[in-house]
Amino acid sequence: MAALEKRRPAVAPGAGFSDGGRPTASRAAAGAESEEDFLRQVGVTEMLRAALLKVLEARPEEPIAFLARYFENLGLRSPASGGAGDPPGQLLLQQQRLSRALWHLRLAHHSQRAAFNNNVSVAYECLSAGGRKKKPGLDGRTYSELLRRICREGEAPDAAVAPLLRKLQCRDHEAVPLGVFRAGMRTCFVLLEFVARAGALYRLLEDPALAAADRRVGQAVLDTLEGALQTGDGDEAAPARYLEAGSRLGPDNVALAMDRAVVARRPCVPMHREEFLEKAAALFIAKVKPVG
Amino acid sequence: MLSPERLALPDYEYLAQQHVLTYMEDAVCQLLENKEDISQYGIARFFTEYFNSVCQGTHILFREFSFVQATPHNRASFLRAFWRCFRTVGKNGDLLTMKEYHCLLQLLCPDFPLELTRKAARIVLLDDAMDCLMSFSDFLLAFQVQFYYSEFLESVAAIYQDLLSGKNPNTVVVPTSSSGQHRQRPTSGEASMLEGVEASLFCQCLENLCDRHKYSCPPPALVKEVLSKAQRLTFYGFLVALSKHQGTNQALGALPDKGDLMHDPAMDEELERLLVQVPGLANSVTASPETSCLPSRTPPRGASPWRPHHHPHKVDAESDGSTEETDESET
Repeated sequence: MAALEKRRPAVAPGAGFSDGGRPTASRAAAGAESEEDFLRQVGVTEMLRAALLKVLEARPEEPIAFLARYFENLGLRSPASGGAGDPPGQLLLQQQRLSRALWHLRLAHHSQRAAFNNNVSVAYECLSAGGRKKKPGLDGRTYSELLRRICREGEAPDAAVAPLLRKLQCRDHEAVPLGVFRAGMRTCFVLLEFVARAGALYRLLEDPALAAADRRVGQAVLDTLEGALQTGDGDEAAPARYLEAGSRLGPDNVALAMDRAVVARRPCVPMHREEFLEKAAALFIAKVKPVG
Repeated sequence: MLSPERLALPDYEYLAQQHVLTYMEDAVCQLLENKEDISQYGIARFFTEYFNSVCQGTHILFREFSFVQATPHNRASFLRAFWRCFRTVGKNGDLLTMKEYHCLLQLLCPDFPLELTRKAARIVLLDDAMDCLMSFSDFLLAFQVQFYYSEFLESVAAIYQDLLSGKNPNTVVVPTSSSGQHRQRPTSGEASMLEGVEASLFCQCLENLCDRHKYSCPPPALVKEVLSKAQRLTFYGFLVALSKHQGTNQALGALPDKGDLMHDPAMDEELERLLVQVPGLANSVTASPETSCLPSRTPPRGASPWRPHHHPHKVDAESDGSTEETDESET
C-alpha cells in the first residue's frame, strides 16, 4: 500500500506535463498535488487501495485478469449503472445479493484460510444487510439457496452433492449465525474440490471406448479411499493419522488393491462416472457433521 | 491447481513478480490523461477496460517505448501485435530493408529506437551490408529474440568479449543495460586464428548467467542445446542459432510456429471482408491494406486508386530514415 502511495507522485508529473517543455519545480509540485487531490476526490485512491488489498489477500495466479473482473463487478454494483430506473423488485434484489456474496466467496481459494474467512464474513454481511422490507440477518432460505447455487456452478453431479445439502441446510425461517454459515461454505467448497479430484481419478480408470470403468477396479479404489478416510477417525486428529492415511493412499497400496481386484475375476457390470463420483462424495459426506 | 510459491512470497515481491504496480500506475496515468472519459463512464468502467486490454495485449498499441518494453507481457504483446499487423507483408513475399522494418515498428510505437532494429537486422544479415533485403519471417524471428531478451543479450555480449580477450569468466561483472560498447567486433589484429570462443566454456558462463539473471532469459536447456552443436562459435553465430531454434519461439510464446507465421485464416477472412467494403477495390482483394503505408520499391500490385493519396502523407509522418524511397515514389 505504502509503495503505491510513494510511487504515484513520481509518475504523475510526467503524465501531466508531457506538453509543456520543462516545467518549473514549483509548478510540477503544484500539479502533482492537484492531481493527487483529484484522484482522492473522485475516489480513485480509495478504489485502488481496496483493489490492491484484495489482490494481496487472494494472491491470484493472474492478478491482471483478477483486477479486470474485480472492477467489472464494482461497476455493476455502483448505482451509476442501472440505478436510475424503477427500484428493482425484491426477487431481483435477492438475486443481486446472492451474486455479490458468491463473487466474494470465490475471490480466494478455501485453502488460504485467512483470506477465505475474511471473504466469508463480507459475503455474510452482504446477505444479512437490512433493506426496506427486509429485516437484517440471514435466514435459512437464503443460505440454502446460496449452497445450491455454489454446487450447481461447481459442475458436480446433483446426485453427488444432494446428500451434503440435506446435511448442511437450515430451516427456511431459522436465523443462520456466522459460524454455521462459514462452516457450511467451507464444507461446500471443499466437497466441490474433492468431487473434481475424484473426477480426475475416474478419468484415469475409465476406458474411453466404453465410457465406463471396470467395476472391480473402481470399487477397489473407492475401498482404499474409504480405508484411508477412516484412519482419520478418532478423538484427536493427530498428525500421525494424516501420515497413515497418506501412506494408505500411496501408489503401491492403490496398485496392490487394484491388482487384487482384477485377479478376483468376479463377473460385473461397468461403473459409470456418476456412480463413481456419487460413491466417492458419499465417503466424504459421511464425515460431515449435520447442522444443529 | 494452486502454485504455493506464489502464496509464500512477501507481498512486495509477489506484486513485483506479477508487475501489478506497473499496471496500476499506468492505469492511473492513463486515467489522468483521459479525465473526461471517467466523468462519462465512471472510474470502475475505465479500470475494467484498462485491465481487460492488458489481458488481451492491446494495451501496448501506439504507446511510448518505455512502456512497451516495461514488462515481459508487454514485450510479448508487442511482438504479437507486430506480427498480426504486418503479417501480410510476409505473405506477399515482400523483402524489406532494416529501415523499412523500422518504419513498420514505428507505426505501432512512435519512439521505437533504431538501435534495436539495427541489432535485430544484424542477426539476420551478419556481416553483409546493412541495407540488404530481409524476408518478414527472418526479421521477425531475429527481432523477437533481440527485443524480448534485450538485457540478457547485453550480458551475453559482455561475457563473450571477456572470453575473447582471455579474461577469467568467473570474474565477469554483468553490466547494466546502459553499456553498449561491447558489440564491437574484435579487430583482426587481436582476434586469434580461430574465430569465436570455445562453446563449452561459453556455455558454462551462460549457465551461470541464466541462474542469476533478473530479466527474462531463454530456458537454460535451450541455451545448452544450441551451444552443444558447435566446437567454437561467435556471438552472432550464437544469436542466429538461438533465434532460429523452434524452442525459442515456443518458450517465448508470442508467435505461432515458423511454419504458421503466414497462416491465420480468421484474420484473412476479416481482411477480405473489409476490403470488399472499400469501393473501387473489389477486383484487387489480394493487395493488403497494410502495405499501402510502406515505402515500397515494387510497383503497386493490382488496381489501387487510393494509393497516391495515402502514400506521401504517411511516409512523411512515420519514417524519417528512408528518404530515397520517398523521393522515388513521389516523382
